[in-house]
Amino acid sequence: MMQQLRASRRAIASTAAFLALTLVTLAGGYVVSSAAQTSALPRAQAARTLKVNDTGYLHLLHASGSILSEVGSVSGTLPGTASVRLDVGETVTASFTIHVRGGGSITGRGSAILHSSGRYSSFAGTLSVTGGTGRFAHTHGAGKLYGVIERRSDSLTVQTREGMLHY
Amino acid sequence: MPAATQASAPTAQALATHTVRLSAAFSPERLGAGTTIRFGLQVSTPAGHEPSPVTELQVLLPAGLSIATSDLGLETCVPSKLEQSGLAGCPANSLMGRGSAAAEVPFGTAFVTERAPLTLFSGPLQDGHPQLLFFASGELPVLADIIFAALVLPAHAPFGGLLNTTPPLIPSVPEGPDVALVRLQTTIGAKGITYYERLKGKTISFHPRSILLPKSCPHGGFAFAAHLTFQDATHASAGTAVPCPRSR
Repeated sequence: MMQQLRASRRAIASTAAFLALTLVTLAGGYVVSSAAQTSALPRAQAARTLKVNDTGYLHLLHASGSILSEVGSVSGTLPGTASVRLDVGETVTASFTIHVRGGGSITGRGSAILHSSGRYSSFAGTLSVTGGTGRFAHTHGAGKLYGVIERRSDSLTVQTREGMLHY
Repeated sequence: MPAATQASAPTAQALATHTVRLSAAFSPERLGAGTTIRFGLQVSTPAGHEPSPVTELQVLLPAGLSIATSDLGLETCVPSKLEQSGLAGCPANSLMGRGSAAAEVPFGTAFVTERAPLTLFSGPLQDGHPQLLFFASGELPVLADIIFAALVLPAHAPFGGLLNTTPPLIPSVPEGPDVALVRLQTTIGAKGITYYERLKGKTISFHPRSILLPKSCPHGGFAFAAHLTFQDATHASAGTAVPCPRSR
């Protein structure tokens, strides 16, 4: 019975990921520009703007009331691992940290509106990047947020689209 | 507009003032665990006055609870199918709770209390808001199925959600007053509910995960409130709180 349930949840997670992928076609991210301030301070880094399109596949770590805490991997422009805290009420609010492969992390928050109910709860909204560490210290940015929660397993597939990151 | 307030005051005083009593409970009462919410409304009418039908009902639910983090409502019930086929028109996996309702039905020169079982289903989102469908099936003295929808809307602290509904007016005898809701109690939760899923060609039943209580209790307990508007333009409100469960 437990094996069946586990198998079912794996199948569901795959289905959720597929659904999310069909929601949005990802465009590749790319470094767009660097600013002109190059010589004011010897140690100053050139400001950069990065167009970000990432997808995260997360699983439930723990739940409390309306709060889901999820962790998982992120692929796309800034691959790495992510931890997300979702408050799933009448609207969805999220705070997240992405530990980017190669060093540094990005933190931010988002809010979204539910677009479907039932087994797969999809939502769409916006996110803002509020800070970071390492090479992403002082980073800021914004983008669109899409996601699907598979409610039997609480697995979460989340995407950023048209994200612009300044760091 | 003080003048208008003064002018309308005698009219308001002349109307019957309904009172409402709100009760709420969790079962089980354990922080961090799944629970079933039970709430009830009891409307009282002053002696010598006819009960007035409820035209708008708002129930405020505590913050920190969410249907979305439970298994409840894995499928949704289409209101038109519920109207056409009754309970059989809704998928088993859209069942959200059960309860009962009572209404005062004018019958001759008196009012008769009609009791009806109540069933809650998850309805489709409406403008991004979750929706609950209430189905009451009355038999005596009036045979009637009543369906009304409640939207789950955002609410200000200390509340986390607002169930907002406008129950339909139910006509009674010709030229008589409409049927008046006087009691409603229901659960929202997985207690006594079985869902089904297909697995390797077989249908398997399971007990859906219920609404999670947060791991910490808000100051003063879990607050509930209700606001009712009646056909005679009067209002009644009530509030209650489920006390914080003791640590175990």
